[in-house]
Amino acid sequence: MSASPHPWLTTRAAPPGMLACGWRAPDGTFDCHSLEEMCPVEKLKKILTQFDAVRGALFSDQLAPRWSTWCFEHGQIRFVARADGWLLALVARPESDALAKLDPLSWEFLTLPTGG
Amino acid sequence: MASANDHQTLRQVLFVDDEPDFLRLMQERFGSLSNGRWEIHSAGSADAALEVLKQRKMDLVVVDSNMPVLDGIQFLGLLSKRFPDLKKVSLTAFATEEKRSACLAAGAELFIEKPRSEAGYQSVYAMLDDLINWAPQQGFQGMLRRVGLQDVLQMECLGRNSSVLEVYNEHVLGRIYIEDGNIIHAAGGELTGVQALQRLLALPGGSFELVPFEPPPQRTITGPWEFLIMEAARLRDEVASQTPRDEPQVDPQTLAAPTAASVRVVETLVCTGLGKPLYEADCADVPARVLLLKNIGRQAQQLGQVAALGNFDRLELQFHNGRAIAQARPDRLVFVAVATVAPTL
Repeated sequence: MSASPHPWLTTRAAPPGMLACGWRAPDGTFDCHSLEEMCPVEKLKKILTQFDAVRGALFSDQLAPRWSTWCFEHGQIRFVARADGWLLALVARPESDALAKLDPLSWEFLTLPTGG
Repeated sequence: MASANDHQTLRQVLFVDDEPDFLRLMQERFGSLSNGRWEIHSAGSADAALEVLKQRKMDLVVVDSNMPVLDGIQFLGLLSKRFPDLKKVSLTAFATEEKRSACLAAGAELFIEKPRSEAGYQSVYAMLDDLINWAPQQGFQGMLRRVGLQDVLQMECLGRNSSVLEVYNEHVLGRIYIEDGNIIHAAGGELTGVQALQRLLALPGGSFELVPFEPPPQRTITGPWEFLIMEAARLRDEVASQTPRDEPQVDPQTLAAPTAASVRVVETLVCTGLGKPLYEADCADVPARVLLLKNIGRQAQQLGQVAALGNFDRLELQFHNGRAIAQARPDRLVFVAVATVAPTL
């Protein structure tokens, strides 16, 4: 894992209203970027880890979403899992510009060269 | 005169309300609307209702949500425990979201406002009669017979989305505006408001598409979307035999022609918070879906504890050929899936 976040996370995945963004690599390492205090890097790592357990319990070959968005009162979490094992999490404020970016960013992530 | 066969199908309905005048009115109105197919019983208190239930099996109990001593919500909870298979409806003079949630969580299948007009009585009667005749395996086939526009509308409202539903066929072109899950305006041909909404939902065929929200020219509709959709379903049944040639013509310049892909509802399931199906359409495995929804609720709770983003509202799933919304709340479980359909024009 590099010391500074991947440029895609700090530039593309950081529109206004995004609280944090980051991914977990297939080797278990994290690359996370916090944009607001309410969602620090450590919390995002926990969110990614928790979702890894959640998706195993929920999704199967019969129900295999391309991505999922968990909508809470004060924010939405978009998870995008790639076939090669990379898992992205984007945490956005509700009713913010970031919500409109979730789909384009998800598509980008699916083909993003991550160097892994 | 009632025949022996009529007696076999005579439905037993119990109204529980502390207002004698209202009970008398229910006897008169619903007795007349049911054309003798309902045998209507009355009870002025929870105790009196329990006495009636001890003596006779009921098909439906309709409970006033504001009763003294043991209030309607508590009474619904009691009925759910003692008579788990009994169909229950909560009737209220003043509907609030809190009361609605509490009544549904207590086991009511429907939460309905007390009617105030002849049309209101007809609408409530249609809903209650559908509920009486509903068998869990069959879903609400009588109430929401067609899968399509209504389901998409329901999905948008449940998802608290903001969008515009454009509806078209060779005769009618209209728009339904949804803002934060509320239906706020509808326009079709010369009609606007509830009339337009009902006409659009009553269309015998046609297509529709969901487009991004834009503010409507006016706001003509208020009120809970559930009631609007159910009322439209009742009217749709009434006009089903009429020719669609009566539909008003629409100025095509007022609405854009559809160009994007449309959506088609492929699965709908609405359950009580305990997983009892209320409405199902094209759900291949209801128990499995209920299990999934309950599981989503549990997982959302765990994820929510970590994320600390407040209460969970819904899960949106994007598939390669469509999307789905899942809600897992204490008072209801909902799963609606739509498939993307290539435009035909």
